[in-house]
Amino acid sequence: MKISMDWIHDYVELPAMSSHELAERFTLSTCEVEEVLESGKVLEETYVATITGIEAHPDADKLQLVSFDAGAAGKGRVVCGAPNCAIGMKVPYAPIGTTLPLGFTLEPKNIRGILSEGMLCAEDELGLSDSHEGLMELDGGASIGTTMAEYLNSKPTVVLDIDNKSITHRPDLWGHYGMAREFAAAFRVPLKRPFNPEWRRKMLSRFGPGKSPVSVTVHPDSYCRAYFGYTVKGVTVEESPQWMQKRLLDCGLRPINSIVDISNYVMLEMGQPNHIFDKKSIEKGSIIVRRVGGEEEFVTLDEQARHLEADDTVIADGVKPLVIAGIMGGLNSGVTEKTSEVFVEVANFVDAGIRKSSTRIGLRTDSSLRYEKSLDPLMLEPTALRILELLLELNPGAEVEGKLEYDGIDLSELQPPVIDLKHSKIESLLGCTLERSRVQEILEALDFAVSETTEGFSVTVPSFRATKDVECDADLIEEIGRMYGYNSIPAQPPKWKIEAVRLPNPKRLERSIQDFMVLHGNAHEVITYPLIGDALLEKVGWPERNDDLQLANALSKDMGRMRPSLVPGFLEAAADNSRHYNRFAMFEIGRGYSPESEGFSRERNLLAAGFYDRQSSRFMDAANTADRLLSFLRLSYRLVELREGSTGKGNNLPNPAIPRDWPGIHPFETLDIHIKGKPAGMITTVHPVTMRAFKAKGYCSIMVLDLSLFEEDSRPDKTVYKPLPRFPHSVFDFTVIAGPEDRAADILRAAEKVRLKELSGCSVADVFDLGDGRRAVTVRATFFDPERTLSGDFLEQAQKQLIAATEKAGFPLKME
Amino acid sequence: MEERLDSLYAEFSREIGAASTGAEVATIKAEYLGKKGRLNEILKSLKDATPEERKTVGSRSNELKQKILAEIDEASVRIEREEIDRRLASERQDISLLDSLRDRGLGSAGYHPLTAIGREVEDIFISMGFDILDGPHIESDYYNFEALNIPANHPARDMQDTFWFSDMHHLLRTHTSPIQVRGMEKHRPPFKFVGPGEVFRNEAIDASHEAAFRQIEGMMVGEEVSVAHLVHFLKTLLSEIFHKELEVRLRPGYFPFVEPGFELDYKCLLCGGKGCSVCKQVGWVEALGCGMVHPRVLRYGNIDPDIYSGFAFGMGWDRLVMMRYGIDNIRHLRSGDLRFVSQFRAY
Repeated sequence: MKISMDWIHDYVELPAMSSHELAERFTLSTCEVEEVLESGKVLEETYVATITGIEAHPDADKLQLVSFDAGAAGKGRVVCGAPNCAIGMKVPYAPIGTTLPLGFTLEPKNIRGILSEGMLCAEDELGLSDSHEGLMELDGGASIGTTMAEYLNSKPTVVLDIDNKSITHRPDLWGHYGMAREFAAAFRVPLKRPFNPEWRRKMLSRFGPGKSPVSVTVHPDSYCRAYFGYTVKGVTVEESPQWMQKRLLDCGLRPINSIVDISNYVMLEMGQPNHIFDKKSIEKGSIIVRRVGGEEEFVTLDEQARHLEADDTVIADGVKPLVIAGIMGGLNSGVTEKTSEVFVEVANFVDAGIRKSSTRIGLRTDSSLRYEKSLDPLMLEPTALRILELLLELNPGAEVEGKLEYDGIDLSELQPPVIDLKHSKIESLLGCTLERSRVQEILEALDFAVSETTEGFSVTVPSFRATKDVECDADLIEEIGRMYGYNSIPAQPPKWKIEAVRLPNPKRLERSIQDFMVLHGNAHEVITYPLIGDALLEKVGWPERNDDLQLANALSKDMGRMRPSLVPGFLEAAADNSRHYNRFAMFEIGRGYSPESEGFSRERNLLAAGFYDRQSSRFMDAANTADRLLSFLRLSYRLVELREGSTGKGNNLPNPAIPRDWPGIHPFETLDIHIKGKPAGMITTVHPVTMRAFKAKGYCSIMVLDLSLFEEDSRPDKTVYKPLPRFPHSVFDFTVIAGPEDRAADILRAAEKVRLKELSGCSVADVFDLGDGRRAVTVRATFFDPERTLSGDFLEQAQKQLIAATEKAGFPLKME
Repeated sequence: MEERLDSLYAEFSREIGAASTGAEVATIKAEYLGKKGRLNEILKSLKDATPEERKTVGSRSNELKQKILAEIDEASVRIEREEIDRRLASERQDISLLDSLRDRGLGSAGYHPLTAIGREVEDIFISMGFDILDGPHIESDYYNFEALNIPANHPARDMQDTFWFSDMHHLLRTHTSPIQVRGMEKHRPPFKFVGPGEVFRNEAIDASHEAAFRQIEGMMVGEEVSVAHLVHFLKTLLSEIFHKELEVRLRPGYFPFVEPGFELDYKCLLCGGKGCSVCKQVGWVEALGCGMVHPRVLRYGNIDPDIYSGFAFGMGWDRLVMMRYGIDNIRHLRSGDLRFVSQFRAY
């Protein structure tokens, strides 16, 4: 909202200060001044001059050399292209150093070789109009050397542009008078009160005792709370006076005609919207405020057809709707040049109702914007009287017909809230000490009525702050704090019990995984979008579609629903990256969402990691990273290969990380991650068919883990130290033949079945491809006894047992 | 006689210097020091010498023998190393071929900048004794609005363009403030915690606006918690983030869940408050919204506002990241593009 400081000065006399300082202090006490708009300052720096000579420019046909005399402001010569130069003509002169409203500062300048000493100005160059038709021609009687400000009798204008968001909670600040009250309190100067009881009596005396030609009826089921209306005859519609037009323009409103301008002017002054009808457009002499009741089309004055629904409220006459209540008037009831008799409406509507209608219709106006803030019904009467005051001022022959009509709630029943305010609470909440007298001064400056109590104050809230804004002691403390100055409160650490804090388990897990993946997995961390589109799910062939987690008002189809898994978005990013890099690893920790009948939805933290190479599969990188990560996290886990016909424990359970029916699962390069005996994740190389859907070349192996299954566990470190051995261990290598389908892990498992406590473990020492699909696998068995050095006889026996066990499992010893 | 010893040594030196294998060294050793070696030959010829001469030549030749032995040892060590180095030469590899040469442009892996800065902020609060909480992204109207003193049809709902689900009751949380409500359900005062997390706004996406972004929420509730405490913690936070003692100011700001409510600004680091393009000529940069918890919000959390008070704040986390690294487009943050994330190495 734009605030004209000239207007504010009608009500307060502010100490002298720069407009920058003014804006800063107001920002600190009341609301955010986004910008200070200054105009007309140039008029104090430009002077009336008379043209004393005109010569042709030696080097330019269209330019002239114009000599001038500006009296005390100096004489000189400028290069000028204006067509209307004439000797003796009075024109505005801007000396070197003047900053013009267009933003540039005049400097000594050579124009085609001739020095120009300042500038003779057109109207647009002084910001007076858009006209650039030639030099501004001043009155012949103007005395040279006087400033243009003196000549035009104009003061510089300062307009503050207020951030509307910073006053959404302040219905009283949507008009200049309310703002002036804030200035008075902030700068500790008195507020002038023109709308006082005496003024009210004077204005009320202009009404007659009889009925107004237009009756007013408010239906209680409408959004209307209170409605004042009156008729004035003998008005003429013309241009409104300059001072009014200027203030409207300064506040960003276009002057229309004297009646519409009065309506807007008073709205900007009192913050209370209103409406002025051509009385002739009101049929049957009645105004009826009612619900629409059905569905209806209505053409507003901007010539748009609007669709109204049952709950919307309209101001109607005896026949038809005239105005969408609180939002916008109709095309056919407005004031025209022929209007001579007007009906003035000043009404109060339920904030939520106006908000609902204006949101649905999609029409927000200066009026609806204000009604949404919950306006004070007690502002209605002063507003009605102020409009009358201006109508009579601009139309000295006008007369009110009948009385001030009213229908609505009983306004005398509105009781101002009284709040008990403890002085100790003020000081403890703000964290500083404050004089009681200062508290009282601040509240009274803001028109709160204050009486002292033993513990503090009893505060009566003025009606214009009582609609929703000020309800409890904290609200009053805000008033005190901002006027006292928050920045006068010194920062202070609290006296607080020191307690140990640690990261919560899920956070600790997240950080450990990030650390591991970055430092060990050499993977880059990425973040992808939690909102995705059905098209992507379709492309990836993801079986879960999250149809129940669609947004009602999505920005686009591509961001229309919650992702069921990280995988689709993660793969899309990997595919994009494969166009830039031949090889990379990346990972993401983020949420997957799924619908749930109870509680609507479930969110799980998931880990996705991807290992990409243009040339060959990095499945083993993915598997090894998973293996090491899970071990690092001290989880009890197993990596399980699912093969046809395998029926291990938990193998047929659904996998929470990747649905088993996802076509992206590789037929051979796939391992289930079991944690605590159950599937919790999967490692797979993305099927080439899925890669093709992204037009991506190469191999991408992914690891996906459902962290929600164990992130809350504290997993204490149960490691117990074992003393280092005192006796040597013995090693025995033997090589067996494994078929193409055989697994090294199975060979070790078979060997480890030998029940010898001295066998401390087996590992794969070497694998040699025999070229016919078979492999020679060298197993290294380690024997160890903590009590003695093992004897040769024992070892010979043990080795025989090992070979027998592996042969029995189908892995014959390789003969040389 | 002594000349013979000198010339013997000269010849030995030449030969041993030229030796390049262990076998050659062995041959030289036998040639000079063997039973039938040249040194013995000279000694044998001493039989005819005077006792005086025998004495001097004897001790000279002994010295010479020791010298030759030492040089032979030295040569053996040298030659062994040379032989090993020749083998190493055959195993030589291209030591310039670092992984970073294969994956050009992708250096060592790193954390996402949101993670890096998020950890920094979390750690500042952990160090000051704050707990860390989070909540669901999909919230009910109650947690996102109602319990935060934003009833239905409240104009403040306009300030937060909300993504609704089709039941028009569940939504994507528009701020991290529901974490306050959940925190109050879980903890009894006194308590203090921060809640970092993803939030969502139905806003047109451009270089500085995202539909999904992150905030960090904070709350401290206890007896006599005041504005002075709020300023203390937030000033510490910003000074730690920028590694510099900062000047801050509070100005009135409206958030329905706090009363009084503030915007907290810090004095522009670039111009020191004189006004520049970074601070839009104001001299101050808006950092975060904060305030004293509204009594009604405390009551929703089952906390008696007559006994307890508290402060709360919320800060945009993406913007902090963008400021720190000079990122000009917020959309990079969630693009999954390695050309972007691989630029960050923060630890």
